[in-house]
Amino acid sequence: MSEFPFADPFFGLSWLDAIIRIVIVVLVMTLVVVYLTYGERKVVARFQMRLGPTRTGPIGLLQGFADAIKLLIKEDVRPRNADRWVFEFAPYLTFIPVFLVLVALPFAQDWGVRNLALGMFFVFAVLGLNIVGVLMAGLGSGNKYALLGGVRAAAQMISYEIPLVVALLAVAMVAGTLDLNAIVGMQDSRPFILIQPLAFVIFFTAMLSELHRAPFDIPVAESEIVGGYFVEYSGIRWSMFQLAEYASLWAFSIFGSAIFLGGWAFPFGEDWGWGWQLVLTLIKSLIMIMLIFWVRATLPRLRMDQLMSFCWKALIEVSFALLLVNGLFLYYDWPEPILAAVNWVGAILFLGGIYLRAARKPSTKNLVGSYKHAEVPNP
Amino acid sequence: MTTEVLWWIFAVAIVAVSAGVVFARTVIHSAIFLILSLAGVGAMYLFLTIEFIALVQFLIYGGAVTVLILLALMLTRMGIAGRPEPTTGVQAPFGALVAAGLMATLIGVAVSTAWPGDLGQNAVAVSIENIGEQMFQNFGAPFMITAALLLVAFIGAIVIARQEDED
Repeated sequence: MSEFPFADPFFGLSWLDAIIRIVIVVLVMTLVVVYLTYGERKVVARFQMRLGPTRTGPIGLLQGFADAIKLLIKEDVRPRNADRWVFEFAPYLTFIPVFLVLVALPFAQDWGVRNLALGMFFVFAVLGLNIVGVLMAGLGSGNKYALLGGVRAAAQMISYEIPLVVALLAVAMVAGTLDLNAIVGMQDSRPFILIQPLAFVIFFTAMLSELHRAPFDIPVAESEIVGGYFVEYSGIRWSMFQLAEYASLWAFSIFGSAIFLGGWAFPFGEDWGWGWQLVLTLIKSLIMIMLIFWVRATLPRLRMDQLMSFCWKALIEVSFALLLVNGLFLYYDWPEPILAAVNWVGAILFLGGIYLRAARKPSTKNLVGSYKHAEVPNP
Repeated sequence: MTTEVLWWIFAVAIVAVSAGVVFARTVIHSAIFLILSLAGVGAMYLFLTIEFIALVQFLIYGGAVTVLILLALMLTRMGIAGRPEPTTGVQAPFGALVAAGLMATLIGVAVSTAWPGDLGQNAVAVSIENIGEQMFQNFGAPFMITAALLLVAFIGAIVIARQEDED
């Protein structure tokens, strides 16, 4: 298969080169995941005026490894009424899509596992498969809470995939390509977040939802459905869900920082070599991850009906409007600063609208289903 | 050579999981086999070097099969996960008739159509620009008519499924 171009194959063998790159990326990913779990506990602890892990190693730095060893030696339990094959394969099906996404990410100039001409589209397509694993876990566990979690996750992920894809397509229209490396290369003087802030806002919101992060952690809500679709898993299989969750957090952050924050290109371009580019990619992905943790520590969880109506009544409309506006600007060749200005106005209006909506007392009229009789206390 | 071996492996796998769709005892298992089968077809598109169609296959059917599972969950009497349920009833002979008729039609069409000439050993890579131009310029009107049709079906589905508050 030689249709995928790549920069400089090791030893001139494309399959050996692919294997070596995959192994490097996966090893780095595992290390990143171990430290992301540590980092999340530490950051969220600080937000809540606690210390977080401190005992294992200096300032708790080895906590992740201790947890990993504990999970590996834990017993792998399968409930008797679980659907055996569905239950056992579900963790792999949640993990494989994330693993595939890593293939297309640009870590430095022309340095990913593979540089695909349809890179952005590949990322959407593959991430969409994640839902199947989650739903299989929910259905196969033979547990009502797991089933509820799986069904919630499916509804949420299918809905939020639409604004995510449309917002990214709006950026791809401005960039004129779907090749992630080319998109990053265009941003050496200005990152796309300056031109397309509204797309960034939509992308970030939809990303939180796709990742099941707070305030959209409804499928895994501990206080409502005790952990959601992976409630019956333990030991190594549970840790695969955890690995998939944090790996997709990292993959999404690199993907988002490549598209909106300029990835390896901004602000030094090609001049400073691939070492700096790697550092830039990591710093930008850490900024995204920090934002996600910050949101998690700040906002309370939404209700299921709020979640769905926010997606279908706000995000999708705004993202289609954005697509239309970008199309007009590109068709008539109007200058980029005006496009940026219109987008900034849109982003500020949208965020302001969300803020005002959140600040006033929520309406209890027109609620559906079991929320019909919800009482809202006065603030 | 390598491609050919891989092609045969995938071909056998697709037939096997497609048989699984038919013979699985529960709807959920059928749906899971179905997504494996569709993913195998996606891999076939990769062998034909049309990555775009392969990715569309993954993107669309990943979500579609999930919705199918949800519908199966809501519309069938599914007990605890994994328990087999009767999948035949009085309608079985009619189902067999429809299936046989569809298969006969498909085979008849496939055999009787005059397919354009073989592309030869080297399939041509189709660029995304080319696809976009064909879809939005040369075939713009059918594309928009399809979009309008889907929109009407979508709104209709919402209207039918909407729960009116009566109590």
